[in-house]
Amino acid sequence: MFRPATLTALAILALAGASLAGLAGAGGNVAALSSLGPYLARLVAGATVQAGLSMLLSILLGTALALALLRRRFPGRNLLLAVLTAAAVAPTIVIVFGVIAIYGRSGLLGDLARAVGAEPPAIYGLQGILIAHVLMNMPLVTRTLLQAFGREPGERRRLASALGFSAADCFRHLDWPVIRREAPALATFVFLLCFTSFAVVLSLGGGPANATLEVAIYEAVRFEADFARAAALAGLQLVLCLGLATALATLAPAVHDEASAERHAARPDILAPCLLRLDCLVLILATAWIAPPLLSIASGVAAVPTLATAEFAWAAATSAAIALGAGLLACLFAVLLASAARGRRLRPRLPDLAAFTMLGLPPFAFVAGLYVLTRNLADPAALGLMLVPLVNALMALPYAYRLLAPPLATNAERHGRLAESLGIAGWTRLRLVEWPALRAPLAAAFAFATALSLGDFGVIALFGGGELTTLPYLLANRLGAYRMDEAGALALVLVLSAGGLAYLTERWSARHA
Amino acid sequence: MLELAGLSLDYPGFAARYDLVIPPGALCAVIGPSGGGKTTLLHAIAGFERPTAGTLRFAGADLLPLTPARRPVSILFQDHNLFPHLTAAENVALGLKPSLRLDDSERERVAAALAEVDLAGFAARRPAELSGGQRQRVALARALLRGKPLMLLDEPFGALDPGLRREMIERVDALRREHGLTVLMTLHTPEEAASHADLFALVRDGHVEASGPWARLTASDGPEPVRRFLGI
Amino acid sequence: MTFLNSRMTRIATALSALLLATPSMAQEKPALTVYTYSSFTGKYGPGAKVKAAFEAQCSCTLNWVASDDAGSLVARLKLEGETTKADAVLGLDMNLAAEAKATGLFQPHGQDTTALTLPIAWTDDTFLPFDWGHLAFVYDSTKLAAPPTSLKQLVDDPNGPKLVLQDPRTSAPGLGFLLWMRAVYGDGADTAWTRLKPRIVTFTKGWSEAYGLFLKGEADMVLSYATSPAYHIGVEKKTQYKAAPFSEGHYLHIELAGMTRTTRQPELAKRFLAFTLSDAFQLLIPEGNWMMPAKQAAGGLPASFADVIKPERTLLFTPDEVRTQRRSFIDAWLAAASR
Repeated sequence: MFRPATLTALAILALAGASLAGLAGAGGNVAALSSLGPYLARLVAGATVQAGLSMLLSILLGTALALALLRRRFPGRNLLLAVLTAAAVAPTIVIVFGVIAIYGRSGLLGDLARAVGAEPPAIYGLQGILIAHVLMNMPLVTRTLLQAFGREPGERRRLASALGFSAADCFRHLDWPVIRREAPALATFVFLLCFTSFAVVLSLGGGPANATLEVAIYEAVRFEADFARAAALAGLQLVLCLGLATALATLAPAVHDEASAERHAARPDILAPCLLRLDCLVLILATAWIAPPLLSIASGVAAVPTLATAEFAWAAATSAAIALGAGLLACLFAVLLASAARGRRLRPRLPDLAAFTMLGLPPFAFVAGLYVLTRNLADPAALGLMLVPLVNALMALPYAYRLLAPPLATNAERHGRLAESLGIAGWTRLRLVEWPALRAPLAAAFAFATALSLGDFGVIALFGGGELTTLPYLLANRLGAYRMDEAGALALVLVLSAGGLAYLTERWSARHA
Repeated sequence: MLELAGLSLDYPGFAARYDLVIPPGALCAVIGPSGGGKTTLLHAIAGFERPTAGTLRFAGADLLPLTPARRPVSILFQDHNLFPHLTAAENVALGLKPSLRLDDSERERVAAALAEVDLAGFAARRPAELSGGQRQRVALARALLRGKPLMLLDEPFGALDPGLRREMIERVDALRREHGLTVLMTLHTPEEAASHADLFALVRDGHVEASGPWARLTASDGPEPVRRFLGI
Repeated sequence: MTFLNSRMTRIATALSALLLATPSMAQEKPALTVYTYSSFTGKYGPGAKVKAAFEAQCSCTLNWVASDDAGSLVARLKLEGETTKADAVLGLDMNLAAEAKATGLFQPHGQDTTALTLPIAWTDDTFLPFDWGHLAFVYDSTKLAAPPTSLKQLVDDPNGPKLVLQDPRTSAPGLGFLLWMRAVYGDGADTAWTRLKPRIVTFTKGWSEAYGLFLKGEADMVLSYATSPAYHIGVEKKTQYKAAPFSEGHYLHIELAGMTRTTRQPELAKRFLAFTLSDAFQLLIPEGNWMMPAKQAAGGLPASFADVIKPERTLLFTPDEVRTQRRSFIDAWLAAASR
């Protein structure tokens, strides 16, 4: 009954609920909410369209990219994977400026357009939001699917060769079942991320027609100090998000799999010339989409010498400590949640809901609620030291869970009965049965979670001050003090760290595959 | 006739060189220790591995330039022969047309193939709803339907009970006589095939160390490697 | 650097305190906790120098506690209520003043405000202004030769400059411009927004994003402060950035300080408020916070501020007006600007 997964899920849900309840009790005027009705309805409708399109594009392109990366080996493949991770976890302000540097009025494309006498592209509006959201979300789709394809038994690919599968047959019989299995949860994930996106939506949206509920929640906390309304809005957002998650979860077929030892086998469709052309096109397109905005931050290199200060060193050390702690914690939580797959009984999946809860919960409402709950227990500065890694870990949990849950589920299908029959359970089972299959996904999840926490600014906002200075905090600080060049250098450091971490874990898991 | 002459494969930490001749219509049981190169031998014949030297001929034709799908070969693995999202009938139909767009006569042939392995009533079931032995029979039905004269079986019944295993070997033997197939089958338990296989090949360290009929290989003056492997 | 050194000293002190585990420190100085926003205490903000100057004369310790902006300052105060550790707060603004006052956490500042160099007369006895600046549209004079000379011209010229603004729902200057439009157009503000809309590139979440987009060339003008060009002159030695004076007048942004009712150091807090109007503090404001000093020091303004525009008219809503009408103004803006 009370397995670790259930306990972890309940603890997370309780913490989220308690923080909102604490916030609601901190004062405010919920009654005024009803007058906001039409406004909120418009916000939700607009955000739904935006998030739906972002999700469709991210899934389509992410799947195409995963298939291309699955079929092709080329120099720089690991580097591309690292760049993908960096794009997924970069601070949103870095993404905004990166997208502007390429697609903006005075960006690379704008300059090119003017050079040939054409109109510069119009980035501000839905199209700008989509460009940035796909840039941020396609990577996770690609990573998760690539892993899922890699877990399929090699016999199927050999069989495909022996039976003379065409490229279309390969897609239908090898790839589509995997995509169908993974896509619902991935789609939910991407949708929620885009539905709750905020700075990107406002900066690139071009007008108030493009906004999300998160804007209203931020407004309630920061402008009106109306915490009850903030809690009500956050609750509304959470209900919408979890409703969608539950609805989409019914689309996912149950995993039915058989034991397989063999993974390394070539697919017959790598020889199909039309697919080779398609894959090249996808790889070039994806690289062209993702790499330039990230590369544009290399312009920050000129200002890197200005970072040689004790303050920077202190912030970098603080960030590293927080991010590593948060990364480890996030992986721990994710493994605990995903261990539910061992039982193969929980439905509707409580752990899934717990992970999605952390996506639907606005960070500043969550943190403010936690602040209400804990401020009488200890000094906020001291609490911050403990809470910031914890909150960062919870925020990164959905990513880690997305990367870890499917391999654990497959593993349970394959070795679960054997493990149960041999009486291998708990920690021993994790070590003997799950660790070998989990090593690579765990490395990827750790890289994602750590890098994400490295770039997170939201949490520190309320607990910050004192000694708790991190790199994103410095970045925001420099931007607020006109120091764009120094901010550029900080952005470069952040993205390079995230990419470097991803690259190292990529190579590590390749060696231990 | 299947002829392998100096068929060589090179991998980091493992090199193989096979010489073997199997007469047409024979059932050859491939035995030997794990990791000795039995599966690699079958994969090389099926076209999954790229030999660095040597020749591979069947009925006089050179197989090496052919892709796996064009070789006169069907192969059965120990597991994962079926696609979990397809029914038994669809899995069999893959042997005719991977696109699964069948006309009526093709559908009849699929049904007949399933009937031949005594699974007529199981056409609409998915692999998860079949037992291990039934799944391998579905795979066998597909192999028969493809009508390839050379059938490779890689530990196909290793996961089944001994009784079922013996029954499956008898079934394969019967089918090959009926369809005139040449069969190569790797085995863990050579005794079970003793009364069905025309010849045995002992593969160890990437070489065929001995081959011949059971009686000769196991005779008191039989080849030393075989006697050592079988512990006689 | 003094800031960093003092931080290092503080950590060293904390560490040695832990190691020695002395139950009470020998020379216990009184400590004053001041809540402020983070760019005030950041590397380029005046916080470190303010701390040093105040500590030199108070024989006390000044502890900054920074939140990321004025909005989160009020949120934090309201969350903490009576239990707040803040003795004083530095960095509220006029848009949040009524909200802050409604918390009931503040007490009268008790300072003489007659000699303030503010464009308006100051009568509030709860909050004390420490700096101010007019909102203004900043442009690059090498790219925009003839900027509009009035808000009406900006709104009405269909071929006018492209603008990047801040969202009034999430940003203080964004809200400031919304009020500016109201002050100039009254009930006609909605149609004015509709006319202006085609030239608005986007409404960003905060000032940083908007100013960054402007510097990257995404817009011809950005909503910022009249003092922004002084930064480019003073630090970057660039003179091409200018603020466009508008004939209708400019909306005023005032930054406020106050002391809490719950403070255990009322004398020290009062002394700190007095200090914010002293020359020592006010001299740090122009090139530290890039704002106008609320009580100009004897030495006048630094050279970089010589060309800061001086609007003839100042526009301002009272905090209570903002508090009661903000929602309806924003709703009207949403309807007008979403079209």
